[in-house]
Amino acid sequence: MNVSGEQLYHDLKDIVGEDYVIDSLIERINYADTALPYDLEKGDLPDIVVHPANSQEISGVLKYANKGKIPVTTYGSGTSLIFGTRPKHQGIMLSTERLNFLEINEDYQWLECGAGVKTGHLIKELGKLGYFLPIQTQAGSSVGGAVSVNTLGHLADNVFGRPVNNILALEVVLPTGEIIQTGSKCLRRSAGWDLARIFIGAEGVLGVITKIRMVLYPAPETVDAVAFFKTTEEIGHAIGLIYKQKLPLPMDGEFVGEKACKVGCDAYGLDFPEGAMAITRSMGRTKEEAERDANELVELFKSAGATESFILEEDEIREKVWAVRENAMRWGEEKGLKGFLAIEVNPPLPRLSEAITELNHITEGRKDLIGQTEAYLYGHVGSDSLHCLFAFPYSWPTEKMKQVVNEIWDLERELQLKYDGVGGDWGWLPYRVPLYREKYGETNYEIIKKMKQLFDPNNILNRGNVEGEV
Amino acid sequence: MGEEQITVSLEKDLNEALISCEKCHLCNTVCPIVDTRMTQGPLGMNRAIYYGLKWKELGDTVRDLVHSCTTCGKCVAMCKKVSRALPLVEIFEKARALLLESGLGPLPDQREVLKNIYRRGNPWGYPPHERTKWADDLNIQFASKDNKVDLLYFVGCASSYDPHGQKIAQNLCKIFTQAGVNFGILEEEKCSGSEARRMGETGLFEYLTETNMEMFEEVGVNRIVTGDPHSFYSFCQEYPNKRNRLTVQHYSQFLNELLDSEKLKLSSKGEEKVTYHDPCYLGRHSEVFEEPRRLIQRIPGITFVEMENSKEDSDCCGMGGGRMWIEVPRGLVSSLAVAEKRVRQALDTGAEILLTACPFCNITLRDAVKSLEREDTMKVMDITELISTRL
Repeated sequence: MNVSGEQLYHDLKDIVGEDYVIDSLIERINYADTALPYDLEKGDLPDIVVHPANSQEISGVLKYANKGKIPVTTYGSGTSLIFGTRPKHQGIMLSTERLNFLEINEDYQWLECGAGVKTGHLIKELGKLGYFLPIQTQAGSSVGGAVSVNTLGHLADNVFGRPVNNILALEVVLPTGEIIQTGSKCLRRSAGWDLARIFIGAEGVLGVITKIRMVLYPAPETVDAVAFFKTTEEIGHAIGLIYKQKLPLPMDGEFVGEKACKVGCDAYGLDFPEGAMAITRSMGRTKEEAERDANELVELFKSAGATESFILEEDEIREKVWAVRENAMRWGEEKGLKGFLAIEVNPPLPRLSEAITELNHITEGRKDLIGQTEAYLYGHVGSDSLHCLFAFPYSWPTEKMKQVVNEIWDLERELQLKYDGVGGDWGWLPYRVPLYREKYGETNYEIIKKMKQLFDPNNILNRGNVEGEV
Repeated sequence: MGEEQITVSLEKDLNEALISCEKCHLCNTVCPIVDTRMTQGPLGMNRAIYYGLKWKELGDTVRDLVHSCTTCGKCVAMCKKVSRALPLVEIFEKARALLLESGLGPLPDQREVLKNIYRRGNPWGYPPHERTKWADDLNIQFASKDNKVDLLYFVGCASSYDPHGQKIAQNLCKIFTQAGVNFGILEEEKCSGSEARRMGETGLFEYLTETNMEMFEEVGVNRIVTGDPHSFYSFCQEYPNKRNRLTVQHYSQFLNELLDSEKLKLSSKGEEKVTYHDPCYLGRHSEVFEEPRRLIQRIPGITFVEMENSKEDSDCCGMGGGRMWIEVPRGLVSSLAVAEKRVRQALDTGAEILLTACPFCNITLRDAVKSLEREDTMKVMDITELISTRL
């Protein structure tokens, strides 16, 4: 970067206004910190944080940065679990948090929002009008971030589809500063070229998504069911049967392995049978429809060997059951382990049980640091997505933590290659670049690099992520 | 413990608490003072303290940020529900204490406030002899060693000096009188110290704790009722050995008892639609959610509606945590903006009256109704004001 900090502050102030350029140490720390278990170092901090109000200001920032070849890292909400928002080359941290406008248009049957709108807020506002957001990422995540990663959180892929299936249009600011519009206002999407699809899932390396137009879904009625199995492997088998028997897919199909289930049920005072737990959320236009589907799942689970399966009638119990699944952080804490890192493995349906068995015993007999961790299995089994959370002591020195993080990412790469999986929840960059290259080969990776160069000739945007710098 | 030991102990406590933050950001999603920068919320404060200590970079920016917290406790409830159950408000108060011990805190405006509390027994620095002026024409007795009362009404600073707060005190006394309660006030009541503690002045809080407990003992009181949720919380949760010596109630609890025993009877007078704002220190911090609602719904002619966020999920009025006396530092969210958000929720219910049970909330919410130019459609009242129209 060939510009002094003072000059940078002065120049950016002219673009976004004095109140929205912040170079205090505290601001820079906050926008660099991620959920990685080890601490930041001073070299990890951006030089400055800008909070533009709209796409014109973002355009101004990017034109300026492109001219000066200054690295820019985009920040949606910082909840990424592959830590793409940690700046690799300092420079400017560009927050989209002020892009928070929202219009829910019932006449057109779509919503338009700024990239900085939080999914929790959007879910709430849609709910007031009887609509449903087919992105159920954690409440603090930004819509722009979810669209950039093309993720949908807990939901099963085959029910509402991923963001790429539900987005009508995007506004994007290119790294060179041009503002482009894509898509349409009608519900019929382009059968051919639609540049929106290039940016959805591009993890922010091709441009900054500033506005999103997305179809509305009426909020379904839902009924939750639960099933207990002696082992997690049996859940894998039961999920396969749901598809094979052509049962109505639940919108959420979750599970918690034996160990995590025991800790969670104890923590929430749930007196359930020992073993692993599957949780499903069936939906329908009416409660009766949802209940009918949920009952079919209960019957299937029983026939597939569940020791117990029933519909969750009481709100309090239902909330606790979901808390057992969602509050993964409690599991390791039970043993005083507060550091953690989770991985994702996506085996195809026929190999779900095999992968579950392997993950259930993943730490056993290992001589590396992973062998010193406690592993807890859980996931979105409705979309054959398995997670394993590795818990370890916070008292480990930074170098040891970095080593275990690397070992865990290596392990994920091995397992994804073995089971032919993809980065289904969190995207690929930057941590999964080695996996991407090994899985798809150098030709595929070169295409990404060339696309990056085409859109961002000076490699200013999220520099280091395509390169796999961590 | 010497100053250096206190500092070391606070640093250790803070580091141990903050090192395990999961950084999930969910605390920020419920924080009333997060506008469009994540730094503004509890996660931002938490990281500021953590790295401020680690890199020895505690300074004015950290101080301003940490003192911007309203201490409403919504983040604590969220963290308990979904994550590591970090006691974030306690952490921020400890950080404020540490900043004060290190000579960095509190905020400049608050220094004078703390001096006033120490010297004059109230944050504004009003003359102590004017503390009971609101009661001049009400013929209220002073509780003393020689004049024992069944119940001590602890008025609190805001209801002693603020004109709207004084109305709460006057109305409550009218209600007590109507119900035939043998009550009194202290001639030399002093601040409970609750807000001093919120601002990190733990030494002053301890001093006031001792002073007040001595006064309560001298007067021979064993039952206190207050209309100030901040004092109520401190008496119940932070004063030493309180449980053995004192029963402390918020008036919403006591007035329900008076209605139960039919010592207090209310008459009907018109019909009004009301909603209720839970004061943070009465609701989330003290878990008194039902009694104010029960009380409101016992007022004849009242239709009660809940706001979008209520009870455990209630939003803050923006004035807690020592913010009452500060000009919020640049780049951080003002109390008025927080209160306006809350008033908008109240307006959405279609209620004509926004009730509350805290003199601080009363002041802030009134200001917000005024700044939104909605005085023609919404009145802000303490519950006691509405009850006093039904005596």
